[in-house]
Amino acid sequence: MKSERKNKNLKKEIIKLYLKNISRPLRIIAGDPLALTGVFILLFLTMVGIFAPFLALYDPNETHIKTEGVVFSFEESLFRDEWISDLPLNEIKIIEDKPYTVGDGGFMASREKGTWTTWELTTEEDLFGLSFLRGEFGVVAGSGGTLLMYENGEWRKEDTGFTGTFYDVQLVRENFGLAVGQEGTIYKWDGTNWEQVSSPTPNDLHGIALLDQDNGFIVGSRGTILKWENGNLSPEMVMTIRDFFDIDIISSGFAAAVGERGTIFFYNGQRWSEQYGPETRELRSVIIRDENDIYVAGRFGISLNYDGLRWDRVDNPYRRHFRSLALFEDKLMVVGTDPYVNELASPTWAHPFGTTHIGRDVFSQVVFGTRTALFIGFVTALFVSIVGVNVGLLAGYFKGLLDDLLMRFVDIMYALPFEPFAMILVLVFEPSLWIVFLSIGLLTWRTNARIIRSQVLSLSERPFVKAAKVVGANNARIIYLHIAPNILPLAFLQLAVAMGWAITAEATLSFLGLGPPRIYSWGTILHAARLSGAWRTAWWWIIPPGVLIMLTVSSVFFLSRSLEVLTNPRLEGEIEDARD
Amino acid sequence: MNKGTYVLKRLGQSVIIFWIIITMLFFLFRLGLPDPTQALIAEGLSREERALVQERFGLDQPLGTQYLIYLRNTLRLEFGTSFYYKAPVAGIIHERLLNTLVLMFLAILISYIIGPLLGVLLSWKRGTRFEAGSIAVALLFRSAPVFWTGMIAIMLFSIRWGIFPASGMRTIPFAETTFLTKIFTLDFLHHLLLPSLTIGLYYVGLPMLIMRNTMLEVMGEDFIELCRGKGMSEGRVMYRHAARNALLPVVTQAAVTIGLAIGGQVVIETVFSWPGLGREMLQAVRNSDYPLAQASFLLMAAMILVMNLIADLLYSYLDPRVVYRGGK
Repeated sequence: MKSERKNKNLKKEIIKLYLKNISRPLRIIAGDPLALTGVFILLFLTMVGIFAPFLALYDPNETHIKTEGVVFSFEESLFRDEWISDLPLNEIKIIEDKPYTVGDGGFMASREKGTWTTWELTTEEDLFGLSFLRGEFGVVAGSGGTLLMYENGEWRKEDTGFTGTFYDVQLVRENFGLAVGQEGTIYKWDGTNWEQVSSPTPNDLHGIALLDQDNGFIVGSRGTILKWENGNLSPEMVMTIRDFFDIDIISSGFAAAVGERGTIFFYNGQRWSEQYGPETRELRSVIIRDENDIYVAGRFGISLNYDGLRWDRVDNPYRRHFRSLALFEDKLMVVGTDPYVNELASPTWAHPFGTTHIGRDVFSQVVFGTRTALFIGFVTALFVSIVGVNVGLLAGYFKGLLDDLLMRFVDIMYALPFEPFAMILVLVFEPSLWIVFLSIGLLTWRTNARIIRSQVLSLSERPFVKAAKVVGANNARIIYLHIAPNILPLAFLQLAVAMGWAITAEATLSFLGLGPPRIYSWGTILHAARLSGAWRTAWWWIIPPGVLIMLTVSSVFFLSRSLEVLTNPRLEGEIEDARD
Repeated sequence: MNKGTYVLKRLGQSVIIFWIIITMLFFLFRLGLPDPTQALIAEGLSREERALVQERFGLDQPLGTQYLIYLRNTLRLEFGTSFYYKAPVAGIIHERLLNTLVLMFLAILISYIIGPLLGVLLSWKRGTRFEAGSIAVALLFRSAPVFWTGMIAIMLFSIRWGIFPASGMRTIPFAETTFLTKIFTLDFLHHLLLPSLTIGLYYVGLPMLIMRNTMLEVMGEDFIELCRGKGMSEGRVMYRHAARNALLPVVTQAAVTIGLAIGGQVVIETVFSWPGLGREMLQAVRNSDYPLAQASFLLMAAMILVMNLIADLLYSYLDPRVVYRGGK
């Protein structure tokens, strides 16, 4: 009866003891502003990790595609890109020394004295063709059979009955013009109406180049070139099946057509001959100044010049898609762009940390990386602490042979270099989360075990342990009820240290490519940046993960520094004997 | 226990640990890769050639015999032929090790000259802003992953400002020269400086803090009071008398650091494309070049063991107060 009550009291006391030893570190931290800051940073990062899916702006694997309507001006050695529309621009023409452009979503704009003005059109259709005789008379053409005539400040929608897409339109005189589009569609303007012309081809037609009412060409897909001569259409013999996208002609009768896979054809007045340019990708637009000065633009920022003898690339800093080009004040002016991968974009509101070399959002990767880093850091540290504490307890308490054995084992662990050990594991097995966990776990508990052991060695000589032995308490009871509570603060400190180390270690292994390949962590982000080679300039990609590692590790450090008071008696009185 | 037996015992321990590591490696490899010649088949090895290799390395023998052959080869430093380079492993490793040693030597020299000097200064200026500031900076460098610091350093000093070369050991093209003539060229030093400074700054915190802490201890001892009593300047007391006595833990830490640095700077060698042992081992792992990876690993482990041993012996030699108790 009496012993039972005593037992109960003892249990209470022991619980109190554990609590006391846990609460002490907390009180110490609360009194140290640096440690407190560290704790707040760690708590904040933990929250980021837990709520990663809500905080991430995008799926970290999503490739970000961007569409916009941009005018690129090539001025001397200077390049200017003006964003004027959310959607791609399809055509640019210079009319009476003023650039005009049309694009998707019924967009049309013209530039005057350096500023672009948007025209109010009554359509939402994508516009592909634009032709003005002068500022007061013109036409735009586009999808949904759209043909809009402009006359004396008024827009008039032409009803043609055609519902497909017009790809190009050209007016030559007030009473003559042509419009071409899908499936070989050709319409002719006679001054009052657009009339359908019977077409010799079922292929899509993309471009028109008329010299006058009686001479010109129409180009289209699958190598189609139609000759317009005195009101008649006849197919030209061209040795290609590639799609043509654009054609231009000059008064001498010389013409040039461009198309997919770098296709270029010249017309010398009699026949078409293939040219071998330096590009194999899609060419979208051509403009001829004279036979010895031809410009071509295409996808991925292609711009070429032909000087009568050979083709040269016109250097420009863009990789975006060009759709149409014009010569404005003797300089190239190009419009685009098709959807392009928003790669290596510097930070914007949409992508606070910019994007990677394949257009992925760095911010979202970092947020998910925080989750991985902290998770691995904490789980590994916990594992390491449990193993280390138990080995230390057993070795320090039992001494003798067991101690010798365990400590020699620790010595072996000390002789293993960390990164090379992980590399050997990867060599024998495969890169995975387990390798990271295993190599950090196996090589970190050694320090914990040593430190705990030396503490236990001194504790087990204390009177309260001897007293417990005399009373006849068994070993497990002495170890876990009498000694263990006393080393809890130390174990707590070691947990913090191990966590800081594990986070750096994980980052290091992942950086070397030894970690799991498809999981984001701070290390894998830096690994990807290094592999891409873009890290040398893309500071937004490598600074955030590194700064976060630095923040975490130094937080952990400040935390452990303030906890050192617990383990270094010289810093603050003697450690109290847990029993008084 | 007298000095001689202590040295012998520590030596014996190190040898046994090394033997255990060799053994561990053997079984780890056999566990993951029962027949190493399997990896060679992709290289176009015919059945007969494969049998020949198997016989030479005793792969057709029972496991026990294989183990003995492996031990014998390791002891004779016969690590076989690299799968990737098709050349003896020993020669490749020899060259890479020298490259790593040069890099690490300079890095550790930098950190173990600046570190202790700063440490003395810190203990002198205890409690000032200077102390807090220096500790904070050193810790910042310590908490940043060293490969990241290296990347930032390259980004700033090589790409943006063009002061240092971004990678490699020498400017391409270069003539083949001997190791010694190579390392005493300006070009080589130019390449060496940025990586070794990066590692040096990473390592500087440890000797600095150790030095500061031991200095604080030493400054409380009687002979310091005596020096002061004799009317010496504080600087002289600090650097000539106190620092000498506080240097011991720094020296032993230096030995341990050298051991770890040999294998520990795989990342910095990777970032700076420094053709050292660590980078070579990483490439060997990528190429599944078992002999090369295995030999590199053993060399690094041996280096750690030797340096730890030296640290222990140094400690016992330099500090007469240490009682030889067999490493307990």
